[in-house]
Amino acid sequence: MQVSTEKFTELVRREVEKARLRPALKMVPHFLHEKREAVLADHPDAPAAQAYGGAIRSEALARLPELLEEFEKNAISNGAKVFWARNAEEANAYIVKLARERGAKYVIKGKSMVTEEIGLNGALSEQGIEPWEADLGEFIIQQMNRTPFHIVGPAINIAVEEVRDLFLSKAFIKEPTLDPVELGWGARLFLREKFHRAQFGVTGVNMAVAETGTIINLENEGNIRFAKSSPRTQVSVMTLEKVVHTMKDALHLIRLLSRNCTGQKITAYVSMDSGPRKVDEIDGPEELFIVIVDNGRSRIYQDPRAREALRCIRCAACLNICPVYRQIGGYAYGWVYSGPMGQVLMPPLLGLDKTQDLYRASTLCGACKSVCPAGIDHPDLFLYYRSLDVSADASAAQRFNGKERPWKETLFFKLWGMAVKRSWMWNSGISITRPLMNAGSRGGAIRQMKGAFRGWFRKRDFPAMAEETFRERWEKTVGKGTDFKSVP
Amino acid sequence: MASARDEILGKLKAAPKTKIPTRPFLPPAEEVAMGRDALVNRFTEMFAAETGIVYRAKESGQALETLTEIVQREGLKSVMVSTDEVVTALNLPAWGNKIDVKVATPKDFKGRDDFKDAVFDDAEAGITGVDFAVAESGTLGLRHDKDQARLISLAPILHIAIVPVERIVPVYEPVIETVFGKEKPPSQFVFITGPSMTGDIQGQLFKGMHGPRRVIVILVG
Repeated sequence: MQVSTEKFTELVRREVEKARLRPALKMVPHFLHEKREAVLADHPDAPAAQAYGGAIRSEALARLPELLEEFEKNAISNGAKVFWARNAEEANAYIVKLARERGAKYVIKGKSMVTEEIGLNGALSEQGIEPWEADLGEFIIQQMNRTPFHIVGPAINIAVEEVRDLFLSKAFIKEPTLDPVELGWGARLFLREKFHRAQFGVTGVNMAVAETGTIINLENEGNIRFAKSSPRTQVSVMTLEKVVHTMKDALHLIRLLSRNCTGQKITAYVSMDSGPRKVDEIDGPEELFIVIVDNGRSRIYQDPRAREALRCIRCAACLNICPVYRQIGGYAYGWVYSGPMGQVLMPPLLGLDKTQDLYRASTLCGACKSVCPAGIDHPDLFLYYRSLDVSADASAAQRFNGKERPWKETLFFKLWGMAVKRSWMWNSGISITRPLMNAGSRGGAIRQMKGAFRGWFRKRDFPAMAEETFRERWEKTVGKGTDFKSVP
Repeated sequence: MASARDEILGKLKAAPKTKIPTRPFLPPAEEVAMGRDALVNRFTEMFAAETGIVYRAKESGQALETLTEIVQREGLKSVMVSTDEVVTALNLPAWGNKIDVKVATPKDFKGRDDFKDAVFDDAEAGITGVDFAVAESGTLGLRHDKDQARLISLAPILHIAIVPVERIVPVYEPVIETVFGKEKPPSQFVFITGPSMTGDIQGQLFKGMHGPRRVIVILVG
């Protein structure tokens, strides 16, 4: 999948002008957020439950290597095969090879973010194996060749007219309709045939349980259950941070994920696999492959502060509450992840140099942090990435490809730093700057400015500088060098 | 060259260690203190909240009567049933003969492909027992094994679950302790809460996306 995180500002400009996006953005994030609030209020102690989720994720990360080993051991003893992939290429090559060896003509896919991240669909298509996304939203965006607009509702922004036209052109429906239920029925009938004949199923993983070697998926539609029931071969792909210690921990996260994600007590289906089907079972996969993908995460793990981004359980509560996401939607973030969770995850995954605007496109209001069931402090990470980015010599900065800032900016802050430490420099600086600043001011406000600061004034005003500073007035009224204690 | 596994684990192990935090106190769910009747009511209320329909039968004879009513009202001609102990005790093939409904079980089929043809294309409803019903959220728990095929509760448009009342538990924890405790876990365990649903087109929620559009429970006991 193409990465366009470098074009953030450009994409934002394009997205905010799309009138069509407004109704979806006005409704969906707010609606999901309200539902979340309502169902969380049911819990005897919601803040404790959220904090408990953070503690589970924190412990899982602290013990990550040992839990992965325990998970692998138990998964293998359940009869699953475990494959480790350093990066997207290795994961894709392995899955494509499995599918080819089994003569699969197509692959039925349950909704998963990691396979979006590694671009599995492209790798399968190249080898002539059709990937079929089976989650309705993923199905729609796959046909339209788009990235997910929202990590939970990938096609939530797409107008029903567009879905109608798409489904008509692909013959998923015979008669035009604007009824989402009828459109969904068309997709159901088409995908049902795919489920029925499927020989090869691919899913993601929400949680991998170390003590039992079990993988867990949450969903509402049933596409994942079908992908794990009908085909002879099942491949489940997980990133390495998905592991938790116990089934009890997993249960708590299931409760939290459902509540924070869609405002449900529990999603319609939670399926938990421990190995392939037994020989006397009539359905379920004869072979189960679990692919553990690193793709940059072990590098993130080296840095205990950046590691916090790996706590994420993909509930999207932070997208729904984010004042930035609520204006620009998911496309502007330039890759598979969006909103604050994308802004903390993509910079260390892709490099600070390629995601310059992502960790700066935040007011640091902390709404994301306030709803996170995994205990991520997003604003802290934004500040951390910003600090790494300007200290390109530090080893941590090198790890994540920190980029030097433009020389003008560096020079400006160097001078600023010198000035704020020396009163004579500050004071003479003020008297030099004042006429320049105030030259274009009207009615006590500076509305525009030429040169390097032009951008800042595009949508903002700045109060004109006062004719006198406090210090100047002080000197005039009580005299230069007067100790303030002696002033009555 | 080290294998990908060793390389990845090596990097993780070499990374700086962090502390394991203590966990906050969590008050128990109110269902834990509930008596039998309250649990049944809570389960029914929660299941209904997800558009599930609950019937109550005193014993298996009455359960069969309810089943007949449902099947006749819906005009069903063909159903697929599990062979788990709850359903087996009802002897549904004999019941089907009496009321002229085709009752198939997975054991009637040579293998996966024949079974799939029937459960996808023939069966108008799937009838299963359940291992657990969880009051907390109106959830059914099914252990998939040779007598509980996965597709019966998934592929047909209607799922009818027979739930003995003594299988209702307050919360998920005892379920997990039983299923994943001492013995080898089943190949798959599933929690089902209401019908299949989606909101993927313009956020409009509707039931029956890929799986059942309706789930009916007959509580027995």
